[in-house]
Amino acid sequence: MQNTADAAVMNFPRRDARDKLLGRTKYTIDVGGSEVIHAVLLRADVASAQVLRLDVEAARSMPGVRAIATWEDAPGAHGIGIADHPIFARDVIRYHGEPIAAIAAETLEQAHAAAQAITLELAPLPAVLTMAQALEKDAPLVHPDWKDYDILFEGAARGGNVAWEATVARGDTDAAFDRTDVTIVDGVYRVGRQSHVPFEPRAVVAAFEDGRHHIQTSTQVPWTVRHVTARVLNIPESQVRVTVPAVGGGFGLKFDCSLEPYAAILAKKSGRVVSLVNSRREEQMTCLCRENAEIRIRSAVTADGEIVGREATVLMDCGAYGGEQVFLTTMTAHTLGGNYRLGSVRLSSRAIYTNTPPNGAFRACNGVYNTFALERHTDEICDAIGMDRMEFRRHNVVGDQDIGATGQVFEGDVLRPMIDRMQALCAKHPNGRENGQRLDDGRIYGRAMTVGTWFIFVGPSAATVNLNVDGSATLVTSGVEIGSGSMMHALPQIVAAGLGIAPEQVIVKTADTDAAGRDLGVGGGRTTVSIGAASAAACDEVRDKLLAVASEMLQTAPEQLVLADGRVEIRGRPGSGTTIQKVVAEAETRTGPISGSGAFTGPGIEAMPGCAAGHFIDAIDIPVFAVHDCELAIDPDTGQVEILAYRVVQDVGRALNHRAIHGQIQGGVVQGMGYALHEEITINDQGCFDQTGFEAYRLPLAQDVVPIEFDLFEGAPSCGPLGTKGAGEVPILNVGATIGCAIANATGKQVSQLPLTPPRVLALLDGRDEPLALNHISAIWSDNTLRR
Amino acid sequence: MDITPYPKLFLANDLNEALRALRELADSAIPLAGATWVMRAPLRCETADRTLIDLSRIEALRTINIDQQEAVIGALATHEQIANALNGYNDLAALAQAAGHSANPAIRRMATIGGNICTAEFAAADLVPALLALDARLEIEGLDGSRTQTMAAFLEARATRAHTDLVTRLIIPRTQRTSTHARLTLRKAGDYPVANLSVSIALGAGGKISAATVAVGAVEAVAKRWTGFEEAIIGHAPSPEKMQMIAKTCLEEFDGRDAMDAPGWYRLRVLTGLVANAFSTLQETTLGRAM
Amino acid sequence: MTITLTVNREERIFSGDPRTPLVDVLRDHLRMTGTKAVCREGFCGACMVHVDGAPMASCLLPVGSLDGAAVTTIEGVATMEHLNAVQQAFEDHDVVQCGMCFPGMVMTMSRLFQTNTSPDRDEIKAAMTGNICRCTGYERIIDALMSIRTNEVTS
Ligand SMILES: Cc1cc2nc3c(=O)[nH]c(=O)nc-3n(C[C@H](O)[C@H](O)[C@H](O)COP(=O)(O)OP(=O)(O)OC[C@H]3O[C@@H](n4cnc5c(N)ncnc54)[C@H](O)[C@@H]3O)c2cc1C
Ligand code: FES
Ligand code: FES
Repeated sequence: MQNTADAAVMNFPRRDARDKLLGRTKYTIDVGGSEVIHAVLLRADVASAQVLRLDVEAARSMPGVRAIATWEDAPGAHGIGIADHPIFARDVIRYHGEPIAAIAAETLEQAHAAAQAITLELAPLPAVLTMAQALEKDAPLVHPDWKDYDILFEGAARGGNVAWEATVARGDTDAAFDRTDVTIVDGVYRVGRQSHVPFEPRAVVAAFEDGRHHIQTSTQVPWTVRHVTARVLNIPESQVRVTVPAVGGGFGLKFDCSLEPYAAILAKKSGRVVSLVNSRREEQMTCLCRENAEIRIRSAVTADGEIVGREATVLMDCGAYGGEQVFLTTMTAHTLGGNYRLGSVRLSSRAIYTNTPPNGAFRACNGVYNTFALERHTDEICDAIGMDRMEFRRHNVVGDQDIGATGQVFEGDVLRPMIDRMQALCAKHPNGRENGQRLDDGRIYGRAMTVGTWFIFVGPSAATVNLNVDGSATLVTSGVEIGSGSMMHALPQIVAAGLGIAPEQVIVKTADTDAAGRDLGVGGGRTTVSIGAASAAACDEVRDKLLAVASEMLQTAPEQLVLADGRVEIRGRPGSGTTIQKVVAEAETRTGPISGSGAFTGPGIEAMPGCAAGHFIDAIDIPVFAVHDCELAIDPDTGQVEILAYRVVQDVGRALNHRAIHGQIQGGVVQGMGYALHEEITINDQGCFDQTGFEAYRLPLAQDVVPIEFDLFEGAPSCGPLGTKGAGEVPILNVGATIGCAIANATGKQVSQLPLTPPRVLALLDGRDEPLALNHISAIWSDNTLRR
Repeated sequence: MDITPYPKLFLANDLNEALRALRELADSAIPLAGATWVMRAPLRCETADRTLIDLSRIEALRTINIDQQEAVIGALATHEQIANALNGYNDLAALAQAAGHSANPAIRRMATIGGNICTAEFAAADLVPALLALDARLEIEGLDGSRTQTMAAFLEARATRAHTDLVTRLIIPRTQRTSTHARLTLRKAGDYPVANLSVSIALGAGGKISAATVAVGAVEAVAKRWTGFEEAIIGHAPSPEKMQMIAKTCLEEFDGRDAMDAPGWYRLRVLTGLVANAFSTLQETTLGRAM
Repeated sequence: MTITLTVNREERIFSGDPRTPLVDVLRDHLRMTGTKAVCREGFCGACMVHVDGAPMASCLLPVGSLDGAAVTTIEGVATMEHLNAVQQAFEDHDVVQCGMCFPGMVMTMSRLFQTNTSPDRDEIKAAMTGNICRCTGYERIIDALMSIRTNEVTS
């Protein structure tokens, strides 16, 4: 790509801002009008029960009712790895909030009234509400029939309430722990659930048109919605079309199919357009949260700070159905198993069934808490062997040609120079304060720096670029704009750079599975990389076609032609060429309109054979690193923590849009601050979430945040287009870790849990809490696996 | 009779109309002021289909009058109005601050003092301890006439109060005292307080405390006076450190409320810090000038 | 019950349950969907409208109480061609993400700048207590607002 074109596309402002600022943007929740009827779900209000009787007859004759659906209408089960999830409870209820029936009526009130008229008789069953309970010897099974389920991905160990187990074994950890010259450090950590709270809840509008389902939905994954809807309805996927209006926030919550099949069934049954929107309460109470997790890490470390052995077990609560956690067991190898060189390693990463609402994916899923555990553990190691925290990290972080947990070979020195950059950034603001020091106002000062490893989730993407007669280009992909701006910033910039036109001239079509090729969805920081790479490839084809025609028109070899400013020029002779419009017009008379298609799926980096079992991916294609530093003050009278300064050095590959990345860093770090300090979903003894709305679930407010200072680290190896890596997901990665470590440094106390709410911090300061004990995770690693 | 002449929201033009409607509809109606509590009923899973007797047109209930003897605040005065109108009066500062720092700006613009004190289920109200500390009396009107009542008496009977009476005014005696309100929220602002505290003191000879009223909210289900502390600080100089020390010895009067935002022990544990904050505010703003 | 109110300078009539929150009347009956109902409990501010000039949470306003009132919604503060100063600053600084909170942000902040033309950072943040944004982390929104303070423009 030419440098001129390159510069011309940088820092493109997003074009959806104006309508959003005017209140004109139509999100899925805004689709309505008199032709649309309204649906509600009847949800279980117990955590575990046998269904004795379900009778919807009385409800059917209620005023305004147009259709009712139950399990009979959705025979199939879905899931990731295992098909364990029917969309309606049939014989058993497995969690509080599980859908039992769906009702569509002319008005929402009528639909609610009809739901009340459904007869449901239940017999209570014992429930397992925590992972500790689920792992007890004779624990009731959430899925007694787990052996009979369809396996969609082979290779995992499963059994009882262990929905999925992924393990890593590289080298001989037994020998490492037996060495006489090592210190053994053993730590346990626990985190709660975090709710995404996208401002637009999950919502869908479905219609049945020309014999096919048309689903308009607030999703990150149109193709997953298409696939799952077809699967549970037992119809061919080709009978489902998914389109996506502007999405009012996702953060991973919408990385799964959720409300769509219900609306689809009701639309077909009623022949009407059906809108189904979660109330905020439902959205909260059935949020596919970042899972609560329990972690034990043991490390054998030499006196000079070499980690010769590491064994860890991570329990991830998947709730009543496996869902995303089944996949996320894979990530432990790269998050908890990441950051540092390990002589030998064994990891057990397990998704555990409980009778609680299922969990899901949330921005840097799995990485956030594993980084917290790993970085706290790292500081505990440093204390145990008496080594400086930064020196230890500098010494141990993975660098060029080092191998990761599963034996993949890393390329390039990235983390170490990033630590240097962070130290330089911090050196701009010397303040001479020390950990534990009392500030003038009596508060306790704390500071910490942590490192983190994340990755870009690659996988299939497709793009088509149509070059229009007016010189503009239309990009057709299944990408979705969820708010992060990747569809508004990076993609038009990449296409513009590829075709030598202005980003304003690139039309980005919103996702429509009838128009664009398959795509894994927007998440895992993959839009810019995967869809971007497919788009760049499509541009290459367009370019070739364009230059072939222009070459004849200008009597110049294609290699001598350049595309810039909407023109085709002869290299070194500006003004000599012609406009893209003229070339397109000429092409139409010769071969027809110009378009190109491109595809991408990822380079497929290799792991060491035999290291990983039950993993969906054995190695990470594009690692992404982050270094964070936090300064904070703790009020010893209240336990309140104030963030004084927060700094980020982020590996972005290449920064295409500084302002957009800034927005992602500021937003992502603040979500991480919420996670670190306030946000937690707790589950009561009824198996139901306590935090049903904004009063109880405390999101960060403007007064709780500070401007994040950041330095973008460019130039690390990436197969992404123009050298990019996704920048939206990783900012949240080590916030919990950094704040947790800073609080530990400030107080000198063992910090093992998140969030660090004021009561929890005060309890820590006062020595009021018992130290965390996770007795259900054995110190003998092999006890924590089914593969023993 | 089932058929009433009242729509589901009845805009009363004057007090009598409101009282009559409440009497006629009895249990099927409640008064409506700023609506910020009532409109959240669905979130609390309250399903009762009640008629709302909207007081907002009754201008007489909106006025705030402050003279040498007393401050009279109409029940419909909003938090914002109160914070503005009471600004600058040292003796009334606790109420001004409570009203000015509660909730968020839009809610302060909507929520009324009457609604704040009449909501029996709301333990964390900010105006209630302020009114207790300022020795406020309420004026209550029913069809059979009006009466006044102390805050303490009102709070005691609040949960079982008849909905046919209306709180119409709050009457606060003017004094030479200075007062302040301190509250602790888990975030910087915007939450319900996990504990709050209003203090009103008079200084005697040598700058020693000669009289004090202190009230605490949110710690228990209903706000109350902290009488042991009030007595213990008489005769002491109001230094924040000293006050905090004394407060630590007077905590047994409370039984901390366990709730989702915070456990009971935490509310008690932070109370003494609030005492220190309150007294340093008093020192900085008002006493500072006098001393 | 029939309620008459002025919405964006136009008289509108609502007949239905007078306890219906204004936000639902706007969205469902008048089909003005710019105003968002996110929390319905007064915390998020996405439903903010001006009632007789003052920002209020329309999720907590029963429409029956507003008979005769003048309501301005996000649809009424500007035209497609001419954003107001707050909107323009947000666009110029490219601070919008999912956009769901912005109608409310605009309503609150437009009013703030009418009453205080040069608020400082802390004042802006305090005024934002009732407007939650889940995407942006606020500071860039505040940067944008700082740029339209009168002393910023004149100096
Ligand atoms: C987001 C949010 C944050 C909040 N934060 C705080 C906070 O930090 N501190 C705080 O103190 N409060 C806070 N509140 C609560 C708020 O103060 C109360 O909701 C409010 O004071 C109730 O007043 P209202 O006028 O809106 O009452 P309404 O909702 O109209 O009425 C409340 C109750 O009082 C009754 N009532 C009202 N007026 C009278 C009267 N004159 N006579 C007899 N009965 C009457 C009603 O029948 C009803 O039962 C918050 C509220 C919200 C929505
Ligand atoms: S929807 Fe009204 S404040 Fe949140
Ligand atoms: S931009 Fe998404 S909530 Fe503010």
